[in-house]
Amino acid sequence: MGVGLYVHIPFCETKCGYCDFYSLAMKDRPTKPLVGAIVRELTQRRAATDEEVETIFVGGGTPTLLPVDGLKRLVDGIGAFIGGAVLKEFTVEANPASVDTEKIGVLRAGGVDRISMGAQSWHQAELTALERLHNPGDIVEGVRLCRAHDIGRINLDLIFGIIGQTMASWMDSLDRTIDLGVEHISCYALTYEPGTRLTALRDAGRLKPCDESLETEMYLAAIERLAKAGYEQYEISSFAQPGQRCMHNIVYWRNGSYVAVGPSAAGFVGGERYRNVPDLAEYVRRMDRDGTAEIERERITGATLAGETLMMGLRLNEGVELARLGIPAGAPLSPAVDRRIRLHGDGGLLEHHGDYLRLTPRGRLVGDAIISDLFAALHEGVAE
Amino acid sequence: MADRKLIRNFGIIAHIDHGKSTLADRLLERTGSISKREMREQFLDDMDLEREMGITIKANRATVKHTHDGQEYMLNLIDTPGHVDFHYEVSRAMAACEGVLLLVDATQGVQAQTVANAYLAVEGNVEIVLVINKIDLPGANPDETALEVEHILGLAAEEAIYTSAKTGEGLDELLTAIVQQVPSPGGDENSPLRALVYDAKSDPHRGVICNVRLVDGVVKRGDKIRMMAVGSEHVVTEVGKYMPKATAVADLAAGEVGYLVAGIKTLADVNIGDTITHASRPAETALPGYEAPNQMVFCDFYPGPGTDTAELREAMEELWVNDCSFTYDPATSDALGIGFRCGFLGLLHMKIIQERLERESDVNVVQTAPTVTYEIAMNDGSVKQIQSPSEMPDPSKIMEIREPFCTANIIVPAEYIGAVMSLSLERRGVHKKTEYLSPARVMLTYEFPLGEIIYDYYDKLKSCTRGYGTVDYEITDFRGGKLVKMDILVNAIAVDALSVIVHADKAARRGRALISRLKKEISRHMFEIPLQAAIGAKVIARETIKAFRKNVTAKCYGGDVSRKRKLLEKQKEGKKRMKQVGSVEIPQEAFMSILEPEDG
Ligand SMILES: Nc1nc2c(ncn2[C@@H]2O[C@H](COP(=O)(O)OP(=O)(O)OP(=O)(O)O)[C@@H](O)[C@H]2O)c(=O)[nH]1
Ligand code: SF4
Ligand SMILES: [Mg+2]
Repeated sequence: MGVGLYVHIPFCETKCGYCDFYSLAMKDRPTKPLVGAIVRELTQRRAATDEEVETIFVGGGTPTLLPVDGLKRLVDGIGAFIGGAVLKEFTVEANPASVDTEKIGVLRAGGVDRISMGAQSWHQAELTALERLHNPGDIVEGVRLCRAHDIGRINLDLIFGIIGQTMASWMDSLDRTIDLGVEHISCYALTYEPGTRLTALRDAGRLKPCDESLETEMYLAAIERLAKAGYEQYEISSFAQPGQRCMHNIVYWRNGSYVAVGPSAAGFVGGERYRNVPDLAEYVRRMDRDGTAEIERERITGATLAGETLMMGLRLNEGVELARLGIPAGAPLSPAVDRRIRLHGDGGLLEHHGDYLRLTPRGRLVGDAIISDLFAALHEGVAE
Repeated sequence: MADRKLIRNFGIIAHIDHGKSTLADRLLERTGSISKREMREQFLDDMDLEREMGITIKANRATVKHTHDGQEYMLNLIDTPGHVDFHYEVSRAMAACEGVLLLVDATQGVQAQTVANAYLAVEGNVEIVLVINKIDLPGANPDETALEVEHILGLAAEEAIYTSAKTGEGLDELLTAIVQQVPSPGGDENSPLRALVYDAKSDPHRGVICNVRLVDGVVKRGDKIRMMAVGSEHVVTEVGKYMPKATAVADLAAGEVGYLVAGIKTLADVNIGDTITHASRPAETALPGYEAPNQMVFCDFYPGPGTDTAELREAMEELWVNDCSFTYDPATSDALGIGFRCGFLGLLHMKIIQERLERESDVNVVQTAPTVTYEIAMNDGSVKQIQSPSEMPDPSKIMEIREPFCTANIIVPAEYIGAVMSLSLERRGVHKKTEYLSPARVMLTYEFPLGEIIYDYYDKLKSCTRGYGTVDYEITDFRGGKLVKMDILVNAIAVDALSVIVHADKAARRGRALISRLKKEISRHMFEIPLQAAIGAKVIARETIKAFRKNVTAKCYGGDVSRKRKLLEKQKEGKKRMKQVGSVEIPQEAFMSILEPEDG
């Protein structure tokens, strides 16, 4: 399997209240030093690996906030990194209001064939609650622009469980997204991540999160609605028309290898995970000074590797290859793991499918609890 | 050999915090027993926990020299604890004294333990010197306080000595009173040796150190002694006195107090209250000795996270060797595994023992709710005592369940009589009498089931009397009552460690309180968890912990792997702190949470 490449651009127009990615409000920050440092990291990493890159994802943040020349330097740098490799997929993340004809043109010319846009909702009140700056009209316009530039694959992100959202408005957002005919739709439950403004507001009792039952109903309704419209669910939050799954993300979920560059970016190459410093200025400084901005590096083996494979793999509808849960991979499963699998199987939450173990539709609703349980079992009797 | 006429043995007794240990400090200081440099507050409280909590847990003794009218006297003082849990320490001290200083805080007046401890002194037939302390404080009312004592205890107010243990005021008068009022000890140094072992402690280097009060005879190094009850014989390697540091002396004679080392290996080889005599010339009869302290509350200790049963056993054995005031016996629980049923003198004592175990042996303890002893009269005429709800026999075989009762004295300002009466009624108290200590303060006497008063009555009393109320109690007898065992079912499984014995009329309320607390402790599972309180097959309270309908992370990409994995690792550690009951995970804290007082 080829490897992925992830590039992190930590700029956003403003910081959304629910977001826990490393990103900064752009304001008048210069972008040149960052792009320069990223291109340098790409060069460095190219020299250190000889793996063939098959998928690329440029995310953030909002990469399309980079000025045209910055974008151009970036896609050129990426082009140099992949050399002559044949890509399967090249995605760039965008916000509906941040794309324009010129930028899309530069991206398309640089080999980008997939755009992922944070649509989130088709209702102004909900967009405001999320502190998103675009309006529903921008979504239509953004998709139109992409299509005009021959971007063949588009993903739109939607969020459910927004404060004040109703089932009707959620179904409406879904329908309007489906009507646009995009190839891929991601439906995320609004998550209260630690350290975000949204979470602080909730904890202070200043907003009341969506009722859990309603959120569950919204999720189930989305699965059903999207299935009818020809979108297959292949991961907890991901739905695609046939042949349109995001191959880059599948690399993550199959616990495959990927190079990552940019501030806060985390990669997994040659069995080792690393992470770059999550600070823009510090990242640029370190790339300039040391030629690396890594602050962590860890070899992943044994139960840790099996645990990660499990944690990521069970997110996929196809599930996880059972053999990979052995320690080491390929060894028979421990009795503890076997017992827990059987228990959840009896409870109708897990099932075997060929050589794979996967969540049932009911299990998918409580995936975290099952993963946590199996994860603990994986470590039972393993020396640490 | 000291002249017995120049010896004074006395204890210092009082309600908690009335200044006993501080007064002992001043006596040590004034008699030059310790230098200013060595001095620290409550010098004799040498246990870490005593210093941290600011209370005396174990009685401490010291010998000081004092010159009066040109004669040098030897004063043996015993500083006693004031807390109700440690009354037995006071009654033991009485057997080693001819007199006591009864201290009363001039700002607080007579309190419940003032009365209780004074009664112990009267029972012990020792001379009481009344000392009104803390006269330096602005709110002090020494005259009124002395009158209160006269009124309730019949001690002459005009003979009271006024002191400040803080400034040292009144200390000379006090020393004179000790010399003049406390009788010198009796006994006969020519009679066969009789020394009362009133306490003992273990020293890592020297083995057991017996603290003794000589009643008859003389003992010195090299003597071959016999423990009269145990029957063992040893050779004395050292005798000495606490000056206040242990200091070897040539001999100890009738009337004196000191210590004795005799190559005894462990405390298990010594009986507190035993009489030491000479092997070659034994005394005919032993001294009366002591009754073993009476354990009033029982709970189970189980090994907590990171501790196994063997480690816990070792820790308990080690502590017990140093402090045999608690008991422990093996116990098992379906929910908590193999542990120990422990008996304590009271709730403070229980907390202290738990704290010392965790501190001194680095073990983790999971504790079940405390209970009193119940007496079960069976249909076949037999009677058994149980110290845990799980020992309750089949109800169809029980004729009657009896619970311990106590007599309690409650002292409060008169304006709170109403509040105390309604609190006491709620606790099934029966009012016996009301006595006025002064126009403003009263002592109420009640009979209570011990189980109604021992856990949180004192806290409740404090809060309904703005902190002014104090209470003391003494077990009297067992009486039959409408008592039932209440089981707690988690997901339809009765959890033995959560069962309690309650009065039938209060079961529903108690059950609701228990279950709602449990609901807060157990997190949601993938399935619904019914919680029920039941008496036999009858459910008297129920709640449900809802299943989570949806519990799945929305986004998880390459950048999230490490963080999410670490989260799972943390959860894995958290699971170790859980006790699995059926398929429900109950955090260990839940077993403790039922200790918390009701209504929040
Ligand atoms: N102002 C003033 N404070 C005093 C006096 N005597 C004791 N205290 C203070 O009262 C508090 C309790 O004193 P302790 O000597 O520990 O009392 P205790 O009677 O030994 O208490 P327990 O051993 O817990 O029963 C301490 O803070 C002392 O400093 C006094 O005469 N005047
Ligand atoms: S636009 Fe996206 S990355 Fe930027 S702050 Fe909002 S949610 Fe975060
Ligand atoms: Mg004290």
